[in-house]
Amino acid sequence: MNEADLILAIVIFTALAFDFTNGFHDTANVVATSISTRAMAPRLAVGFAAVLNFAGAFLSLEVAATVADEVVEAGVITPTVVFAGLIGAICWNLTTWYYGLPSSSSHALIGGVVGSAFAFAGAGAVLGDGILGKVLIPAIVAPVVAFMVGGIAIVVCYRVLGRQRPGPVTRGFKLGQVVTGGLLALAHGTNDAQKTMGIITLALIANKSLEAGSDPPTWVIVSAAAAIALGTYSGGWRIIKTMGTRIIKMDTAQGFSAQGAGSAVILASTHFGFPLSTTQVISGGVMGAGAGKRLSAVRWGVAGNIVTAWLLTFPAAAAVGALTFGFVSLFGDESAVGPLIITAAGLGLVVYAFGRRLRQGAPVPAG
Amino acid sequence: MSLLATVVDTKELLQTVAAALVAGVGITLIFSFALLGAARFGDASREGRPVAAAAFGALAIVGVIAFLGAIAVGIVVMTTK
Repeated sequence: MNEADLILAIVIFTALAFDFTNGFHDTANVVATSISTRAMAPRLAVGFAAVLNFAGAFLSLEVAATVADEVVEAGVITPTVVFAGLIGAICWNLTTWYYGLPSSSSHALIGGVVGSAFAFAGAGAVLGDGILGKVLIPAIVAPVVAFMVGGIAIVVCYRVLGRQRPGPVTRGFKLGQVVTGGLLALAHGTNDAQKTMGIITLALIANKSLEAGSDPPTWVIVSAAAAIALGTYSGGWRIIKTMGTRIIKMDTAQGFSAQGAGSAVILASTHFGFPLSTTQVISGGVMGAGAGKRLSAVRWGVAGNIVTAWLLTFPAAAAVGALTFGFVSLFGDESAVGPLIITAAGLGLVVYAFGRRLRQGAPVPAG
Repeated sequence: MSLLATVVDTKELLQTVAAALVAGVGITLIFSFALLGAARFGDASREGRPVAAAAFGALAIVGVIAFLGAIAVGIVVMTTK
């Protein structure tokens, strides 16, 4: 194995690691409201979401070259730049998971790649219009639209069903949440697993292991689907707790409104070609469903922390991506030593954290 | 607005916002009517009002069909994007 093949193998491993963190970070989008309203038991909910995430990855294989090609010059996307960008995104996903804050994995990935491309080739490599159009404007539009939709939807719900006996209505909303949660999990698998497929395919093309314009090989599709499904099954319980119980205390109508309206918003945005962050849509929907009932029902302090995390996602991931690239390039732009050191350090941290968790005992799932 | 128009297709943006509002509120409204129909169907059946029970039953069935239709549209959107 020559050095280029070694770097390729590290990039593939890191992309799958990102895919895994993407899965467990975003589990909350799909299951938090269902767990919170007891529509599904926690383990059943994450298992259901994992299976549908896996299936969703096969639904559509129209792989965008990567999410990065519209925010940085195509010529600067080397395997090392992609590696550093992935590290930036993984670090931000783990940090926000630790603090239980839902944030966009796509924005973290874009931020990481922009930071590493900036460190590699300077400001000229960064496409400002792409960042504005792909990150900043959607980051404003997604939560505002979802907040409005969630708020109006819950008012409509209460108006229609205000005087009905709670028993059948509650059971009905729980069933509805299972269906809309399934739809959301499929959409998540389709959208997010493709990011990883795109990155791995691009790395294979850059290494001349594939011809330009090739579709992703079957092993890439299966491994990306498996990584996001395993991540989803691992369950990011801290974020599930935040989204399910800390923003608002949710009843079943609010859970359905946030999730059903959120799914509709995401699919409408996909249809019209203006993709919005699943995390920001569902978080905005939960806040809207709370505010639609009573403004004071929303814990605005928690909501403020989440919005702060959204604002920091891009610059923080970019900073880590740039620092990682700076470290890796100390050993030479085409050397595998830097990526190997960082990968070994990352694996060491994972083993340490896992060992610590085993000693302390695994936390009890929310709900 | 002109700066916005240079980096974002404002037509796509406005279509997205409008469709999100209609679809998001619409799916909740449809499902709420399905639940209303189901709940009132049970009440009307127990109270011996067959006409009302049939009407609410029909509302529930139409609501569920429309809800499942919306889910099917969602899956089509995913597979044809």
